[in-house]
Amino acid sequence: MGFAAGWYALALGDGLEPGTSAGTQLFDKELVVWRDASGASHVWEDRCPHRGMRLSFGFVRGNHIACLYHGWQYDEAGQCRHIPAHPSLEVPETIKVPTYASVEAAGMIWVQSAPEATEPPPADFAAVPVRSLYLDRAPEMVALLLEAGLAGSFESLSSSTFGIALDGADLFLALQPYGAERSALHIARTGGDLSPKDIAVWAEDLRATLEALPAIAPASAARQAGALA
Amino acid sequence: MRQLGQATTEPVTMVFLGHFKPESFAEFVRHRAARLSLGMRLGTVSDERVEVAVEGAADLVDMFEMACSLGPIDCLVLDIYRNAERQ
Repeated sequence: MGFAAGWYALALGDGLEPGTSAGTQLFDKELVVWRDASGASHVWEDRCPHRGMRLSFGFVRGNHIACLYHGWQYDEAGQCRHIPAHPSLEVPETIKVPTYASVEAAGMIWVQSAPEATEPPPADFAAVPVRSLYLDRAPEMVALLLEAGLAGSFESLSSSTFGIALDGADLFLALQPYGAERSALHIARTGGDLSPKDIAVWAEDLRATLEALPAIAPASAARQAGALA
Repeated sequence: MRQLGQATTEPVTMVFLGHFKPESFAEFVRHRAARLSLGMRLGTVSDERVEVAVEGAADLVDMFEMACSLGPIDCLVLDIYRNAERQ
């Protein structure tokens, strides 16, 4: 199976405080996720147009992000607004960072993987962000193993989101196709009162299980899911 | 020509000397000029000499020269001068 262009979770919303930035990847593409001083989150290509430095190493200054290397500052739309070495220069509009559509929903920050994607943004609902897991396993295989029920009684909500009932709590998991051989699972609690610590312990076991399970074929996953239904 | 709200130069002809793959260097030059919103016209493009006329804000023209001094991986820029400097 493959993943269609659409919306994918990149991070837990409460893991990114105002004035901070973080680097991540989606389909091996490097992205910076940053939150400005007003609390709005942004997802951009993680590369300064000047010398290619990762913007995730930069500094958030109010509602701008500044590159670590030479301090070029970009506004919320990705437009370069200030070049310290040329303080009086009116920066041309062509010096701009490619940006991605992003939203915050269900306690997570989501990005639209390609502008041609027609899928609507993910629905927002009450959720308590708990934990992000990073796995050394291909995202397609993680999805297959979850769908097949080999790592627990997961319900497939979409090709990249899953639900599970766990000791009286309802959990929502969003799969981030990080790279060809690496995945992330972002976990939020949508019901019940299982403590974040207990969910985190469960999540660690889930990661170990998903990394250890032998690979399966898509047809096998469908049979497994049918047998378990 | 874009007006950038800055004092703009007269068109400047830059001469790059070195070892070039002409198509590669020409594409590199076009990209940098577009990124910096400069007007640009290629003149002579050969294995050892490339002439480029650029027009725009003085700071951006200087940035263009610096960017092109690095060149693409398959080209080596050994010297740059602006025509007026050797007249």
